[in-house]
Amino acid sequence: MSKAPAARVSYADRLADRLGAGSVTGLLLKLLFLGVVNGLSLYAVLTLLPMREWTPLVVVVLATVAIDWVYLSSRRIPLKFLIPGTIALLIFQVYPVLYTGYIGLTNYGTGNVLNEQQAIDRIIADSITVPDDAIRYQSTPLVDDADELALLLTDPEGEIFLGTGDGLTTLEEGDIVGEGADRRILDTYRPLTLREVGDREAEVLAFAVPIDAEDVEELAVDTEADAISVQTFNTAAVAIQRLEHDAATGEIVDLVDGTVYTAIEGTFTAEDGSTLRPGFREFIGFSNFERVLTSPAIRGPFMRVFLWTFAFAVLSVITTFVLGLALALALNDPRLKLRRTTRSLLIIPYALPSFMTALIWRGLMNTSFGPINEVLGVDIPWLTSQAFAGALPKASVLLVNLWLGFGYMFLITTGALQAMPEEVKEAARVDGASGWQILRRITLPLLLVAVGPLLIASFAFNFNNFNTVFLLTGGGPPIQGTLTPAGHTDILISFSSRLAFAGGRGQDFGLAAAISTIIFFLVAIFSYIGFKRTKVLEEIN
Amino acid sequence: MKRYRKWIALVPVAALVLAACGTDEEPADEPVEEVEETEEAEEEEEAVEEEEEAEEDEEAAPVRADADLVIWADDTRRDVVEPFAEQFGDEQGISVAVQEVPFDQIRENVVIQGPAGQGPDIFIGAHDWLGEMVESGVVAPLDLGGAADDFLEVATQAFAYDGTNYGLPYAIENIALIRNTELAPEPVETLDDMVEVGLAAVEAGDADLPVAWQQDPGDPFHNYWVVTGAGGYVFGQADDGSYLADDIGIDSEGGLRAAEIFGELYEQDVLNQDISYDIMIDTFSSGRAPFAVTGPWALGDFEGVDFEVEPLPAIDGNPAGPFVGVQGFMLSAFAENELAARTFVLDFMGTADAQLELYEAGNRPPALVDAFEQVQDDPAVAGFGAAGEDGRPMPAIPEMGSVWEAWTLAYTNIFSGADPEESFEEAANQIRELIGL
Repeated sequence: MSKAPAARVSYADRLADRLGAGSVTGLLLKLLFLGVVNGLSLYAVLTLLPMREWTPLVVVVLATVAIDWVYLSSRRIPLKFLIPGTIALLIFQVYPVLYTGYIGLTNYGTGNVLNEQQAIDRIIADSITVPDDAIRYQSTPLVDDADELALLLTDPEGEIFLGTGDGLTTLEEGDIVGEGADRRILDTYRPLTLREVGDREAEVLAFAVPIDAEDVEELAVDTEADAISVQTFNTAAVAIQRLEHDAATGEIVDLVDGTVYTAIEGTFTAEDGSTLRPGFREFIGFSNFERVLTSPAIRGPFMRVFLWTFAFAVLSVITTFVLGLALALALNDPRLKLRRTTRSLLIIPYALPSFMTALIWRGLMNTSFGPINEVLGVDIPWLTSQAFAGALPKASVLLVNLWLGFGYMFLITTGALQAMPEEVKEAARVDGASGWQILRRITLPLLLVAVGPLLIASFAFNFNNFNTVFLLTGGGPPIQGTLTPAGHTDILISFSSRLAFAGGRGQDFGLAAAISTIIFFLVAIFSYIGFKRTKVLEEIN
Repeated sequence: MKRYRKWIALVPVAALVLAACGTDEEPADEPVEEVEETEEAEEEEEAVEEEEEAEEDEEAAPVRADADLVIWADDTRRDVVEPFAEQFGDEQGISVAVQEVPFDQIRENVVIQGPAGQGPDIFIGAHDWLGEMVESGVVAPLDLGGAADDFLEVATQAFAYDGTNYGLPYAIENIALIRNTELAPEPVETLDDMVEVGLAAVEAGDADLPVAWQQDPGDPFHNYWVVTGAGGYVFGQADDGSYLADDIGIDSEGGLRAAEIFGELYEQDVLNQDISYDIMIDTFSSGRAPFAVTGPWALGDFEGVDFEVEPLPAIDGNPAGPFVGVQGFMLSAFAENELAARTFVLDFMGTADAQLELYEAGNRPPALVDAFEQVQDDPAVAGFGAAGEDGRPMPAIPEMGSVWEAWTLAYTNIFSGADPEESFEEAANQIRELIGL
């Protein structure tokens, strides 16, 4: 009697066990999780399929199969821990870095957005124009009983023609029977609705009514014009196509003067250097990197900006860390009252979005109207002084960044201090160490082991702290006498955004990506050195 | 049997899969994002806005609705366009969707989503987007035919890029001089008069600023009228009105004269780099400035003040022309329904009815002459129209990007006490350098 339930339980457990879960609840949770993952990826596949995005499609399928394979097994335990991290690392770290590097090798940017076929189609389509003096007909697309297209044309004088693939015929009054959509012309043609035209749009747009030489002269247009074609649903006119794509050579040929345009680095260029637009996205090797490293316009302010970026990042980390640590030490003293409340208040600047607070600081520090100067009754140009290489605005940026960032440091050092065993300090005190010595010799080294990597992360973050600089000073005040616009508080990322997004001929994503890649390597090198140093610290302990 | 049991595990998976697929049925044409529209609030704010939008973009880029004809419009114009679109759809038996996309997001998303096949057939936009869009090949030419003469000249000139027309204009906008009739009862004719009246008001303690004229830290857009009045220009123009990127006029004789004027304005304490858009609005709307130099977008905030909208004062006896921005309907180069799109724009949006309704919604003078004349009894519209008469279409060529950048810094330098003429010369050289980069 008691056997039956026991057997059932063991069956469920066995199933759970085989599928690599410890219990039935675990199994259910796992199935739920895998269900969500599979559901999402199927959704992704169905979205990507019609877009013909093969690479992400393959990645999604492979990742899903890998996840199912690993988790639907009772073995492969190490992989179960590794795979989520690995996938996240690949998607959120490795892929963006590689993709940025790849964009840096292309000419992607204003003028080079389309792919080659799209660009060619656009160039050809744009070369079809209606001459200014051409006659514009009122037109209605028609179809005859055999499904052949034709146009019912009315010229500005009110004369009515039937245009077919063979040419123009003048129509008399009696040829058209009925009104509107029910019209019958010469008993065989009926008007197409816009819906029908939409369904066979390519055919309608390509349809041309040839006109003979006599008419051409009468129409007083260029002699290359030899056909009337549809312009909108209800107008038609003589149009001239000037360019043609030669599929065999991949070149574009000017039909009027015979100029040949060849694709060079994503732009169709003639021998005399004239180009056609739009260009297309193309792999151009290391040209962008070359420009960054060799162009005098970029190199000019580069060193100054680079040094300030470095100083900004280092000083930001030091100032925020020192203030955060000091507050954390003070508030770690149990004799202090209202510690919790004070702690919560202190992290407010960190908790508020810097997007908002940086703009508020910009207002506060306004020279003529800012509350700071008003309260102090002074006229200090906090954010705009150009004296001493913009020393004051630089200090202001650091000050605001200190305000924005000390809460974070306070948070992590408080955590690390609370996790520190009290006995160690106790022992030091027994040995007669002073408070300062304990801090210097015991607390700090132990603390740095814990927060060292976070300081490096903070350095990397501040190295690219676009928001604070851009929102507070916009990189200004300007440095006078530079070849390209640059400001005293510009850091590398804001300086390059000036070059790549607001300079030259529109946006240049290729250049931006090249600079980003260079910044990535710089930060990687600094971080590597930093991690080496914290390793040394760990070994001491 | 064992095998069979293992597959049972897939049942809930399948159920979830089906549930996930179900989300596909959501109506695609629902509002994309409810973003407070700060729209035409000018170049220097645009930088900040773009930043904001960059963040929003990460959430969702608008995706083409499932309809034969898709139109992208901002929240102000969407409601106007929709009834026309519905009527057109009914007449022609096609489905039409008007999607709401915030104004500045339309720009980047037409460039990105268009080539990916997720863009609209028709979108509204500003003419100065054309440079980027035409160079990138995402916008299609629109032959206005005989209708071109029905629009204000500045409007059709603005939508012509290298001699080809790319849009049907519906509204024009430009800055003007807004005069507080209490603090400055008489209209001013010249810049000197304006400065004199303004400084007197400040001296008398009636005003905080002689002119509410935003800079923060330098504003080539709001300063351009002084440049044209002084005989300068930003880019030279060909006979057909198109701008020439290789002729930079910032350091021309007239440009340098303008620099000198800005140096004087700085020394007279009329201008400085602290006057932001907000301060300009606050000061004028609280009656603490006799004049404001701004556009129709600010009028909503000035309700508590009695004011007149007038042409910008003359410089050295020459009329001053601001930049004129034109908004219009454009066709995507990747329209799925090109003929229907052209037909709709030309036949429905070029009518006086449509243009007047767009005027009422957006409060900008219409671009169609017929409609423009009908709204002249609105003093504000007439004032902005008069101020724009000597205006020049804002150059749409992509080289303008470097102009905003370098010229802003030149003004900042002047307002920091640097030599005005040298600052303009430096800006001109920086622009040449950036364009050649």
